[in-house]
Amino acid sequence: MVNNGLKSSVPTDREVILGILNNSGDTLNKLYKAHFAMILQFILNNNGNEDDAKDVYQEAIIILYNKVKEGDFELSSKLKTYIYSVCRRIWLKKLAQNSKKTGNITDYEDVFIVDEDVEHHEEKDAAFVKMQSALENLGEPCKTIIQDFYINNLSMQDICDKFGYTNTDNAKTQKYKCLQRLKKIFFNTIN
Amino acid sequence: MRNDLDLDAIIEDYLLGKLNSQETEAFEQLRLNDATVDHKVVSHKVFLHTMEEYAQQLRLKEQLDIFHSEIDVETLSSQLGPHPSRIVQLWRRHKSAIAVAASFIALSFVSIYSIQHNSQQADKFVQLSKNVTNAVKTQNNLIRKISSDNLPTNKQSNPGNFGGTGFAVSTNGYIATNLHVIKDADSVYIQNSEGESFKVKVVHRDSEYDIAILKIDDKHFKNLAALPYTIKKNSTGVGENVYTWGYPKDDAVLGEGYVSSKSGFIGDTTQYQVAIPLNPGNSGGPLLDNNGNLVGIISGKETSAEGASFAIKSKYILEAMRAIPQDSLGRKLTVDKKSILSGMKRAKQIQKLQDYVFMIKVYN
Repeated sequence: MVNNGLKSSVPTDREVILGILNNSGDTLNKLYKAHFAMILQFILNNNGNEDDAKDVYQEAIIILYNKVKEGDFELSSKLKTYIYSVCRRIWLKKLAQNSKKTGNITDYEDVFIVDEDVEHHEEKDAAFVKMQSALENLGEPCKTIIQDFYINNLSMQDICDKFGYTNTDNAKTQKYKCLQRLKKIFFNTIN
Repeated sequence: MRNDLDLDAIIEDYLLGKLNSQETEAFEQLRLNDATVDHKVVSHKVFLHTMEEYAQQLRLKEQLDIFHSEIDVETLSSQLGPHPSRIVQLWRRHKSAIAVAASFIALSFVSIYSIQHNSQQADKFVQLSKNVTNAVKTQNNLIRKISSDNLPTNKQSNPGNFGGTGFAVSTNGYIATNLHVIKDADSVYIQNSEGESFKVKVVHRDSEYDIAILKIDDKHFKNLAALPYTIKKNSTGVGENVYTWGYPKDDAVLGEGYVSSKSGFIGDTTQYQVAIPLNPGNSGGPLLDNNGNLVGIISGKETSAEGASFAIKSKYILEAMRAIPQDSLGRKLTVDKKSILSGMKRAKQIQKLQDYVFMIKVYN
């Protein structure tokens, strides 16, 4: 009944795994669209809204993606069931955190235990959250320089031009100063 | 400060593999010799790794956001969100459960139907009025001819074919029996233990409880002596020993047993189930306990189970008797009094009882 128009383009589970391993954006796109409706239905009918559905679903896709990339994903169940189970687990946790009722969850699919995967992801995610807040605390222009260099993979020359440094050495010095501060913030919060 | 920055730069270049082999070797030597440097390398490695993963995740999220923006979330939500109608909502939530329940219900209907179908065949309730055989009938007629000549002559050409049992509920000739015994009758006769026949008329029919009250309408009939049994108003407990005296054949037969259940055929609460082997002809007979209290009227049995017979509870006899003008009843059954049968041996009880129990003969 769901996503009639999209169903035809649902990739097989094997295709998805190969696609992720080969960094195929197209496969990821198809995977994303294939199961979103399922999760939207689940979240909407369990005290959530569209944004919650998006967040939860993307988290699940990221968990699947990382698991496949790490090479320890065994196709023991359907991907659809896996995604549903992960989303369900994440959403139940969120509901519990917001002390909303979790007693009467309306299920639409089979569920199996994915607690380990979700917890593994949460640990990583905690580090990312710290990195993000460290970056926020860094202030400009450091934040942008670091982001441009480490996240957007700009070269020092690009950064030098962008920020109007007279030479790349100045830019480099600035970058390392920023990096030092960032590491300080990051390691102070992580421990 | 300057040195720190240089060191950071070298560490990063080392970790990213940007140093040439000589520089790498030199740096590794420095690392071995200086624990602080080594620690910095390790922590920078962790930092770079986290940063790299963070960057990857951000890029992946960006990608997913692009995919997401291509989905028409609003339309989907309206299709999939909680429906304003509770019924549709319930249906969506529980459609698999509903489907299972529905098929289960359908299945149970089928099995219940087949069980009922079977039991309809098996648990046939037989009313114990009997089809008097012609041979016996001839003999009866003979006896009647000798004992009484009020028998209409045409009866011989149209012999009666049903019989049952009845018992006196008053001294002046009121008899209780089952309605099914005398239903469809053109004329009804009773015959006492001496073989005397009397014509009776039906004065009350209670189709609800299957009880009929007859009145002897015969000038030869003389009033009976005081009834030896009394009627019990309350129900009798399961396990109570009971017996009946009736006419499954031309001679009266004693049947003994006990009340086996407080309800009768398929849970009918107006009846008891009694464990007494009964035969056609026992219908309408009195069911008495050891103390001579009338506790019911034998009404039928279950064909599938031997020894499962049924008796209408005595309080319905009392109700039927209320339909008769009370002053015409004369000395009638007394309620809950000590019966004279009480304390007697069974043989003695039967001796007292036999004059008050009649064979019912039906002609149609």
